[in-house]
Amino acid sequence: MSLELRGIHKRYGSVRANDGVDLILEAGSIHGLLGENGAGKSTLMKVLSGFVAPDSGRVLLDGRPVRLGSTRAAIRAGIGMLHQDPLVFLPFTVLDNFILGSGRRVRRAAARRDLQRMADQFGFRLDPEAPARSLTVGERQQLEIVRLLWLGARVLILDEPTTGISATQQERLFATLRALAEQGMIVAFVSHKLEEVEALCRRVTVMRRGRVVGEADLPCPTERLVEMMFGRVQVPVVRERAAPGDAVLELQGMRPADRGVAESHTLAVGRGEVIGLAGLEGSGQRPFLRTCAGLQRPAEGRIRVAGRDLTRARYREFRRAGVHFLPAGRLEEGLISGLTLTEHFLLASPGGSFVIDWAQAEAEAAATIAENLIVGSPRSAAEELSGGNQQRLLLSLMPSEVQVLLMEHPTRGLDLESADWVWRRLLERSRRGTAIVFASSDLEELLRYSDRILVFFAGKVLREVPAETISGEDLGYLIGGKDPR
Amino acid sequence: MRTKWTWVVVLAVFALVVAACGDDAATTTTAAPTTTGAETTTTGAETTTTGPAEQLVFGMILVGPYNDRGWSQAHYEAGQYLEEKLGARMIYLDKVNTADRPETTVDQVAAQMIGEGAQLVFATSDDMRDGIELAAELYPDVPMVWSSGDSAWPEAGAAYRPDLANLANTMGRMEYGKMMAGCAAALSSEAGKIGFLGPLINAETLRLASAAYLGARYCWEEFRGEDPATLAFRVDWIGFWFHIPGLTIDPTQVANDFVDSGIDVIISGIDTTEALVVAGQRSAAGATVWAIPYDYHGACDEAPQVCLGVPYFNWNPAYLRLAQSVLDGTFRAEWEWFGPDWDDINNMETSGIGFLPGTALTGENLALLEQFIDGLADGSINLFTGPLNYQDGTPFLGDGEVATDVQVWFMEQLLEGMVGASRPS
Amino acid sequence: MSVLARSRSAATALLPFALVLVVGVLLLISVSAPPLEVFRLIFQGALGSQAGLSTTLMVWVPLVLAAAGLVVTFTAGLWNIGIEGQIIVGAVAGALVARTVIGPPLLVIPLLILAGAVGGMLWGLLVGVLRVYGRVNEIFGGLGLFFVATGLVVYLVIGPWQRAGSASTSGTDLFRREAWLPRAGGWRFSWVALGLAVALVVGVYLLMRGTRFGLRLRAVGRNGRSAFLMGITTNRHLLAAFALCGALGGLGGALHAAGFHHKLVPAVSGGYGFLGILVVLLAGFRAVWIAPIAFFFAVISVGSTQLQLRLQLHSSLAGVLQGVLVLCALLVGGWQLRRAHLSRRRAEEGG
Repeated sequence: MSLELRGIHKRYGSVRANDGVDLILEAGSIHGLLGENGAGKSTLMKVLSGFVAPDSGRVLLDGRPVRLGSTRAAIRAGIGMLHQDPLVFLPFTVLDNFILGSGRRVRRAAARRDLQRMADQFGFRLDPEAPARSLTVGERQQLEIVRLLWLGARVLILDEPTTGISATQQERLFATLRALAEQGMIVAFVSHKLEEVEALCRRVTVMRRGRVVGEADLPCPTERLVEMMFGRVQVPVVRERAAPGDAVLELQGMRPADRGVAESHTLAVGRGEVIGLAGLEGSGQRPFLRTCAGLQRPAEGRIRVAGRDLTRARYREFRRAGVHFLPAGRLEEGLISGLTLTEHFLLASPGGSFVIDWAQAEAEAAATIAENLIVGSPRSAAEELSGGNQQRLLLSLMPSEVQVLLMEHPTRGLDLESADWVWRRLLERSRRGTAIVFASSDLEELLRYSDRILVFFAGKVLREVPAETISGEDLGYLIGGKDPR
Repeated sequence: MRTKWTWVVVLAVFALVVAACGDDAATTTTAAPTTTGAETTTTGAETTTTGPAEQLVFGMILVGPYNDRGWSQAHYEAGQYLEEKLGARMIYLDKVNTADRPETTVDQVAAQMIGEGAQLVFATSDDMRDGIELAAELYPDVPMVWSSGDSAWPEAGAAYRPDLANLANTMGRMEYGKMMAGCAAALSSEAGKIGFLGPLINAETLRLASAAYLGARYCWEEFRGEDPATLAFRVDWIGFWFHIPGLTIDPTQVANDFVDSGIDVIISGIDTTEALVVAGQRSAAGATVWAIPYDYHGACDEAPQVCLGVPYFNWNPAYLRLAQSVLDGTFRAEWEWFGPDWDDINNMETSGIGFLPGTALTGENLALLEQFIDGLADGSINLFTGPLNYQDGTPFLGDGEVATDVQVWFMEQLLEGMVGASRPS
Repeated sequence: MSVLARSRSAATALLPFALVLVVGVLLLISVSAPPLEVFRLIFQGALGSQAGLSTTLMVWVPLVLAAAGLVVTFTAGLWNIGIEGQIIVGAVAGALVARTVIGPPLLVIPLLILAGAVGGMLWGLLVGVLRVYGRVNEIFGGLGLFFVATGLVVYLVIGPWQRAGSASTSGTDLFRREAWLPRAGGWRFSWVALGLAVALVVGVYLLMRGTRFGLRLRAVGRNGRSAFLMGITTNRHLLAAFALCGALGGLGGALHAAGFHHKLVPAVSGGYGFLGILVVLLAGFRAVWIAPIAFFFAVISVGSTQLQLRLQLHSSLAGVLQGVLVLCALLVGGWQLRRAHLSRRRAEEGG
C-alpha cells in the first residue's frame, strides 16, 4: 500500500503554504515529516486529511485517485488524522466520544467491547464510562487513535503529537505507532523535533517554505537534517554561569491557594539567577508561578520582592515592583488577537500622551520589530504571527527593567532557531540582573539554562538540584517521582 | 467563496429585474389611488346627486388599529361614510401612539396630512390633546376636530383654548349607552357581581364607569327588586385605552381575574374586545359569564353567544355635519356633545349613540331593557339625579339635584357603592 | 489596504442594504405594492419636506447617540442590552429638571441635558457594577434594569407626575416652554440636539480610534485576560465603558423628551436602544459607519408612515420591512462573522 501526493499547491493570500509538494508514503514504516514552524507541514497534512482543499494537485492511494473534500470523505478513504489538540467533547464520556462522529448506527455494547479490545491491544487504559474531561492530553490521543482505527483508518497522520504529553505517554505512543506500522499501516509523523523523528522514523522528508527540500533514510547524521531544515547548522548557546546576586524574590513558607498544592515553599532567588521548574504538568508549577506573579494570593506564608513584602498586594503592585509574568498560552494570556503589533507596543508602554500619534507609534513599532527580529509589520495582527514570532513579540513587550521574570514553557512549540533566540534574549536579561523562574517540560532546556532546578512532583518540590551536576536521565527519574539513588 | 459571490450577483440581478418589472406595476398602481379616488367621487356623485364639485380631502388620526372592532374602527367607518356621502377622500393613519409609533407625534401626522392636501383633520383620541393643539397652532387655517376633547368649551376652565379658532370638539353622550350596558348587566347577572374593565383614569372614564354603575343599580333595584347594597360593582384599570405590552396591565389577565373572583358580567370600558373574548373562552370552558363590549356596533361578533349587547358610537352624523360645514365655509370651533336619536337609537344616519342588544340577552330581559331605554328617552329616568355621593363620601349631587353638563363631564371620582380606584395608586 | 480589499470591505458593508432591497422588493411584490413607489415614498416622507426631515433628524439623534454609546461597550466586549433602560432613565432625569427647575432656557436646558447624561450614566454604571462585582452578566443585568426603568417611568407617568385629572400611560403634561429645546427657525428640529449628537459621535470616533483609552478598551474587549496581565485596569475600563454608554444613551433620552415629545412618555426610549444595537452590528462595530446607518434606520422609521398615508398599505407593512432589515442585518452579520472566522482560520493554517 502506498499514498502519493502529486503537485500539491495551496495558497493563503500571498503565502504559498504548499508550493508544488510531491510526497510518497509507503506502508510498513513510519515516515517523518520534518520542518520548522510555518514550513508547510501542517497544511500538507490538512490537505491529506480533507481538512482543507488544495488549489491544485492530486492524492493517490494505491495508484487510484482519492477524492478528498471533507474529513468524512478522508476517513471513508481510510485516512485518519490525529490533531495536535485532539478534538474531544469534554462533557461526554469516553465511550460517547468514541461513538460520536462514526456516522453510522452502532450498538453501544458492541462499541464498548471494541473500544476495550483495541485499548487493551495497545496497552491503553481507557475507562469507557469516564468523563472525557478527566483525560490527559495523552489519553485523549490514545482515545483518538483507537477511534480512527475503529473507523477503518489505514493511513494515520499525527501532527506534532508529543506536545503536552508526558514522557511515559510518549513512549507508549511511539510503541503503538511502531506496532501499527509493522501491521502494514501507513504512519506519517509530523514534527519539528529532531530527536523524536530520529528515534521513531525510518525515512524522513524535510520541508522548508512550502517545498520539499530533501529526503533521507534514517539513521543519518543529525547535522544533515538540521542543515536541510534551516539551511545552516545551529550553534548551541553555552551558558556562562555567574554567582547569583542578592535575593530578589523571597518566599517564606508560601503555600499557593490551590487544591493540588501539598506543601509550602521557602526559597530565595538571587539577582541574575535562573531557576528551572521541572515536573509533569499539573504537579504544582502553575499555582506556584501564578502566586509569585501576584495573580492569586497565597494561602499562607510571605512573598517578598526586592525586599518589599507583597504578600497581600495585588497583581498591579507586583508589576510595579518589577515582577513580570509570561504565561504559556500566548494568544490566551499574553497577546490580544485582532490588535496590531503597533497597538501591542502602545499598550505595553506605560504613560505616553492620551491622544495617540499613529505615525510616530508605527515608526517606533517598526524599529522595535526590526530590533527583535520579528517577522511581521507594524500593522500585522498578533494572531497572524507564527508561534516563534509571537514569543519574540511577547519578549519585546517586556518592560526594560524587570526584577523577576516568571515564565511557563518559554519555548514550547518553537523551532530551534526561535528557541535559541528567545534564550539569548533571556540570558542577556539575566546577566543584567533579572531573576528568571521558568517552568518547562523540555529537559534539555532545563539542564542547559538553569542554575538550579526545582523538581515538582504531586504538588510539592521533590528535590532541588543544581543544573550543572545532574544528568538528564536522573532528572527524568525525579520528574517521574523516583529517586535515582 | 467564489460561488457565494456568484449567488450575491445572481440575487442582485434578480432584484433589479424584479424592480424593473415592479416599475411597470408601480406606474399603474401609483395611479391607482387617484383612480379609485376618482371612482369613489363618481359613485359618490351618482348616489348623492348634491355631490360637491370640489372633492373634500380629510385626515383621520386613529389611536389604535383601524380594524380594532372598537373605538378606532368606529371612527374609521365614519370616515368611509364621509367618502361615500360626500365623495370625499380620507387619508388615515392608525396606531398613532408613542408605543406603536415612537417616531410619530400627532402634530407631525397632521402636518403630513395637510401636506397631502387634507382640508380637515380629525384627531380621534382624548390622548391627542397636546399634539392636535400644537397642530392647530401651527396651521391656524386648517379646520381640525378633536373628538372627545373640550378645548373649545368655554365651561372647561383651564382646558379651554379660545385662541384655537380652528379646533372644534365633538363627543357623544356615551353615559346613556353605559347606563343601558349597566342595566343589561344587572338584569342578566346571576351572582350580582359586575366587573368594569377600565382603561386609564380620567374624567371621561370616571363618568362612564359611574354611568354603567347607575344603570346597573337602577335595573337591579327596580326590575329585579333587589337591595342595591347586594350589587357588587368592581372597576379595574389597565392604564391605557388598549393593551400595550409592558406599559399597561394585560386586560386579558384582568378579565380572567374578574371571572375567577365570581364576577359573571364584564362591561368593557377599553377600546378593544378582550373582555368579550375572555368571556367567550371561559363560557366555552363551562363558566357562566357574559360580557358587554364597547365603542363599535359590530363588536359582538367576536363571541356573540356571550354578548349581552354593545353600547357604541356612531360618528356618522357628527362627522357629516362637521365635514359639510367645512365645505359650506361655516366651520366653527365649537364644542359638541351629541346624544342618541331617541326615536331610533340604532339609526346609523341620525343617532350618534346606540345600543345593539346581543344574542345572549334573553327576550324577557330585552323587554325590560327597552322599558328602561324608553324611560331614558322620555326623561322619566334621569340617573344623574341626587342624592349621589362620591366614593369617599363627599357629596356629588344634593338631594333632588340634577347634574349639569359640566358636573357630568368633569366627574372627580367613582360613585359611592363602587369598588375600585378613583385615582391611580 | 489594497484598493481591491477596500472595495471589497465596502461591498460587505453595503451588502445588508442590497439584501434588504432584494427581500423588500420581493415582499412588496407579494402584497402587490409597487416597490419603487414604496421606496420613493419612504425617502420622500422622511426627507422630502421640512416636517419629515426635521422628524428624521430628531429620531436620528437618540438613535445615533445610543449607537455611539454601544460602540464603546461593544469595543469593551460588552453587550449593553440595557441601553434602552439607560435612555429611559436619562429621559426621566431630564424630565425631573424640566418639572422642577424654573428659569430661563439658558439655565434649564443645559441642566436638563446634564441630568439626562448623569441619569443614564448612573443606570449604566449600575449594570457595570453588577457585572464587575456581582458577576451578573450584563445582558441579564441590563434587561432587568430596563424593566425596572420601564416600571419607574410608568409609575411616574400614571402616579406622581400624572397630568391633571388624568392617569394615562400616554404621558405627563407638556414641559414648560423654557424646557423645550429651541427649534431651528421654522424647522421642527433642534440645533442643540443635532449639534450635540454630531459632536459626540465624532468624539466617540476619535476616542475609540485615536486615544490610549480607546485602545485599552479594545484590548479589554478582545482579550480581558491578556489585557489584565499587561497591567490594564480591566474592571475600571469596563465600568468606564458602561458609564460612557449610559451617559450617551441617557443624553439621547433627555434630548428626545425635551426636543421631540416635549413631555415624558413611557415609550420615550422608542426602541432606539435596541435599534441602536442593530445599527452597531450593521456597522461592524466601527464608529465611522454608525452615523449613516442610523440615518438610514431613521429614514425607514419616519418615512414608512407615508406608505399608509399615500398607498393605504397596511400599517404593519412598515414593521415587516423593518423586521426584514433586522433579519438581513443578522444574516449578513452572521455571514461576515463566519467569513472573518474562516479567514482567520486560513491565516492560522497558512502560518
